[in-house]
Amino acid sequence: MTADPTQLGIPEDAMRRLAEMRPGQATSLFTSDLSVNEFLLVREAGFRPLGLVLGSSIYHVGFQFGRWNKNQELEVLSQAMYHARELAMTRMEVEADQLGADGIVGVRLDIEFKEFGSDLAEFIAVGTAVKSDHPAPEGRTWRNNRDQPFTSDLSGQDFWTLVQAGYAPLGMVMGTCVYHIAHQRFWQAMNNIGQNVELPQFTEALYDARELAMSRMQAEAEALHAEGIVGVQLRSHGHRWGGHTTEFFAIGTAVRPLRADHHIPTPQLVLPLTD
Amino acid sequence: MTNVEGVADWDGRGLPPVAAERMRRAAEGAAWTSLLSAPAAAGLEVAGFDPAGEVMGSMVQRIGWSTYYGCGASGWYGARAQTITSGRHPQAGFAPYAHALESGWATAVGRMITEAAGIGADGVVGVRLSRQSLGNAVHEFTAMGTAVRARSATRPGRVFSTHLPGQDVAKLVLAGWMPAELAFGIAVGIRHDDWNTRQQRTWTAGNVEVGAYTELVNDTRADARMLLQHRIRAVGADGAVIASLGLSTWEIEPGEGHTDHVAEATIVSTAITQFHRSREAPSRSLTYLPLKRSRS
Repeated sequence: MTADPTQLGIPEDAMRRLAEMRPGQATSLFTSDLSVNEFLLVREAGFRPLGLVLGSSIYHVGFQFGRWNKNQELEVLSQAMYHARELAMTRMEVEADQLGADGIVGVRLDIEFKEFGSDLAEFIAVGTAVKSDHPAPEGRTWRNNRDQPFTSDLSGQDFWTLVQAGYAPLGMVMGTCVYHIAHQRFWQAMNNIGQNVELPQFTEALYDARELAMSRMQAEAEALHAEGIVGVQLRSHGHRWGGHTTEFFAIGTAVRPLRADHHIPTPQLVLPLTD
Repeated sequence: MTNVEGVADWDGRGLPPVAAERMRRAAEGAAWTSLLSAPAAAGLEVAGFDPAGEVMGSMVQRIGWSTYYGCGASGWYGARAQTITSGRHPQAGFAPYAHALESGWATAVGRMITEAAGIGADGVVGVRLSRQSLGNAVHEFTAMGTAVRARSATRPGRVFSTHLPGQDVAKLVLAGWMPAELAFGIAVGIRHDDWNTRQQRTWTAGNVEVGAYTELVNDTRADARMLLQHRIRAVGADGAVIASLGLSTWEIEPGEGHTDHVAEATIVSTAITQFHRSREAPSRSLTYLPLKRSRS
């Protein structure tokens, strides 16, 4: 902090403002799911929060018939996980669109299996809708090529850095694959007892499943004409399906360049006095 | 344990006698206590606030699910059920339940504010809220935080309160924003499981969205958000930063072969107001790289 707070009228002005507050004064209210750091950095990046936006779907996940001695994708489950997330995301985007937002930052995607039904889960997407004070460089819009608000699961800090470096988020992209790894046959298991050996069948299954999830995510980014995807996370969830069935879920933010160079000011080095 | 009779005599107005006695000692200038961490204390110092003392408010009440009839749809199973929420149907049978949750938090926070006002504080920062079950549908609602006094000539004429820790309050104030009040949005919704819903839940139904439950949670959350907006407007603030967005759902069986689902949504936030009216914030962030091992 270079400026002296008391010269800026702090906390004198703050106390005066509290004393002057009257019910119903504000013309437009916002709510935001961002932390204080994120809120201030999003403001500094030139965006105003418009409101918390949310989409949700309670979904019945269908029953999968399969041959359990074979490595295979469980299409019914893959489709359920994808479709329900898509429903939640789309509802969140519709809310943001109604607010006239340019985008949604800090999106969280959660799944919660419900206590009252073993195959019922709530899929929920929450984020903060934002609108820019200025149009994007070269008079372009911040919205994506489908004229929808951009979405991003980046934190406010990462969003600020991304915009500083001359990139704009286009949309969250995701791919999922629910995969069943074959149970070993009896004689295979007997042969391996007491030995340290690679199980090529398992290795290959995990490669296959991750590849499916990642290539689906890439296909979504290509549909948005993205230059690349940042902040990719590749997660695996067991959910409630037992040890041999796993969801591989890839998610990231597709970005486009705002300008040709991508320089940011050289950061200062600091030595924090805390852990 | 010596003044049990005194506690029994308290009529529920103002503060319990022991709390009033502690506030009287604090106002007389006894040593102050605080819940602040070292960064929070340093942040408040920079923003121009001094700690005044630790304050709390608590309230214990019995909250029963009072409606014997559930959603009220018993008897006619063929009809399509409706979602009934506390915000849009204030006369619904379960309204006392929703009101009990609201008054639990409002009373606990109110008592905390009374303590802060009693020691001449201007606000309470870092408020922690908790709800604890004591069994038999008895719940304790608690709010505790650190009261602070501003180094200013103007007194705000109200006690501000916020869940934000001292360092976050400092960052907001230095950027031209002031926390005003803890604001809640609480809603309860109920919906009868009709024939359509029961079909969507059978294992042969395949991949399908359960429309009724989706509507129940969406309407209940929408109600909580609407009530929160009303609250922020009533405070006169410009917006709110949300602390938590909670939802719980459960099943009730008010009658033979009659199943309802209930959703309860609670949003906790701090209403904030802008006092710096220029376009640019007074402080600018520095980009820096901390010289420590990153976590991953």
